[in-house]
Amino acid sequence: MSRVDAPVLPEPHAPEAPAAAPGRRALAWLGFVVVLASAVVGSNVFAVRDHLFGTVTPAAAPPAAGRAVGGAPASPDTPTSAVPAAATSLRSSPWWQDVTTLQGSGATSPAPFTIAANALQWRVQWTCSTGHLTVRVPKQAKAVVDGSCPQGAEGYSVQKGPQSLQVTAEGPWKLTIAQQVDVPLVEPPSAAMTAAGTKVAGTGSLYNIDKVGTGKVTLYRQADGGYSVRLEDFFVSPNVDLELRLSSLEAPHSSDEFAAAPNDLVTVMDVTAGSVNYALPAGLDPTKYKSIVVWCVPIKSAYAAATLGGPR
Amino acid sequence: MTTAPPLAPVEVAAKKRPEVTIRGKQVPVILPKWSDPRLKLSATIWAITFLGLFVLHFQVSIPQIAVTVLLCGVTEVVMTYRRDHVLVWPASSLQTGISVAFIFRVAGTEHGDWWSLRGIWLFVLVAALSLIPKYVLRHNNRHIFNPSNIGLAWVLLLIGPSHVFSEHLWWDPLGWRMILAMAVIFGGAFWVLRQVKMIPLALTFLATFFALIALFALFGRTYYATWHPQGPVGGSFYWMTIAMSPELLIFVFFMITDPQTAPKSFEGRLIYAVATATMAALLILVQSTEFGIKVAILSSLVATCAAVPLIDSLGRRIHDRRMGTAAPVRAPAVPFGRRLVTTLRNPVLAAVLIIGIAAPVNTALLGRDKKIQLIERGLTTRKVQ
Repeated sequence: MSRVDAPVLPEPHAPEAPAAAPGRRALAWLGFVVVLASAVVGSNVFAVRDHLFGTVTPAAAPPAAGRAVGGAPASPDTPTSAVPAAATSLRSSPWWQDVTTLQGSGATSPAPFTIAANALQWRVQWTCSTGHLTVRVPKQAKAVVDGSCPQGAEGYSVQKGPQSLQVTAEGPWKLTIAQQVDVPLVEPPSAAMTAAGTKVAGTGSLYNIDKVGTGKVTLYRQADGGYSVRLEDFFVSPNVDLELRLSSLEAPHSSDEFAAAPNDLVTVMDVTAGSVNYALPAGLDPTKYKSIVVWCVPIKSAYAAATLGGPR
Repeated sequence: MTTAPPLAPVEVAAKKRPEVTIRGKQVPVILPKWSDPRLKLSATIWAITFLGLFVLHFQVSIPQIAVTVLLCGVTEVVMTYRRDHVLVWPASSLQTGISVAFIFRVAGTEHGDWWSLRGIWLFVLVAALSLIPKYVLRHNNRHIFNPSNIGLAWVLLLIGPSHVFSEHLWWDPLGWRMILAMAVIFGGAFWVLRQVKMIPLALTFLATFFALIALFALFGRTYYATWHPQGPVGGSFYWMTIAMSPELLIFVFFMITDPQTAPKSFEGRLIYAVATATMAALLILVQSTEFGIKVAILSSLVATCAAVPLIDSLGRRIHDRRMGTAAPVRAPAVPFGRRLVTTLRNPVLAAVLIIGIAAPVNTALLGRDKKIQLIERGLTTRKVQ
């Protein structure tokens, strides 16, 4: 067949839109706009999808450098040389970070302090000796503290940023301010852990049991004969009422298995992400145990565990 | 998944069929035939769904499945009745519904929570976004996108990994459960594909995809998955869990082989298979999470379905050249810019263009989102699946 014999076809091209009623055509364009908008949302550009539907991975934020604001030591065991850690989307179970302690007598305006913008709330733990104590913050109708002395209690606020308290009292008072945050806590190793004569008594990596656990666990035998444990770059599924316990099992793999074997409390865990140090209670001999377990008390669930290998 | 060709009204009128009376009118009723490949496909997917529910611990509830399947079925019955004035057994849409329910998951749904209504609106959304394009985005009297594929891909991208995901790439450690599931998938595939003559297409896809994924595995690509808490999946396990994933096999055997949305010519189908496999592999290359890989597989088909008219045209030209038949003399080509403007003036074609581009682009963007790794590693407040 020669080319002359072949039928002449038009070049394929996009067909013209058929003439449609104006209402139908408007509807079609509306549909197009919806498609376009959903494509933009699907791209998550400027986190638009996260804002619309919420996200389980919040914007990266710098972790806390210590149990007190500014990385100041909460105990003599913790050195002040905190190393700034990279911002992270990981979140801990909410925990209380010390902000400041204020003391005075009678009515006064103590030194202002600042509550972090990402704090969930803050509290005042107060004590006073005589009369009545009232603590107010500007822009909040209800007093944070309104109680009779000499009792003590707590008051709460959710205001962020600089705070100037107005204290009304008839005698001496003390206010301990703490803010609740959910960023990880990244503590440097404690002074006892880095002191000469301290030895590593065991190491392991967290693995999942009922929930997720990752990170490195190091058990230290300190130069003074005491023990401490460090969880490094760790994450445990956030929850309240978690405990860190030593287990006689080498590698527990279920809650029932863990609960049936001898175990002992190391500490209550408030922070569930970051790098943290805990001193073991005096009298607790970790050499009798082979693993460390994150245990949820109310539901009797072993979240995660790490087998402690190495020198004991 | 596989859908039926549009009804031929002449044929409907010619054959004697059961009828029902609606508002005084005799309405023909068209029931499925045993030879209908859609019934075979449905039987296969239902079999795997039951396996998933009772043996493989799929995290899906009975209401989630029922609502999706019923919504799809009822919608098609109504739409077909309005268009053709016949009552047709909605084989295609029931197939779409079960496919969606089989693949789609809402975070937090636990296996064994049989009556959970969790995220039911998301299942309704996927069903709606599967069926609306079927009736609205059409070209030459055919729908352009595979219904369940576009619904799944679009909702996974739109809602995001914080709330939704698709069934895992790897369902269980290699054992009798996986062997049973694979046997059902391969048996069903042979049963269906032989009839619709799509075996060459499926094999072409698999050959291309297997080679590319093997290459990625050799070069050390890895991904994070919730079901692999030991760390990233790499090496030969990377290849096996992607290339031999039951999810991938179902995608190949029962989605890209949909005769309604695949090219018509043999050559076009081979091009389409290679293009889809290559697109899927390229999108997988930039992913470091299972979520990203699953969306990559689904999005690749969205992109190539949008290009099927072009692939068909190319396939016909190759066919003509191969057979030695003279190519039809064509009128002078319309400049690309003018064709694009013409396309963009048509809201339907403009929407197809946007979808065909946005699906792979947004999927590629998932690869840059490192926070998805946190979800796959279980390091968030989202319940680990």
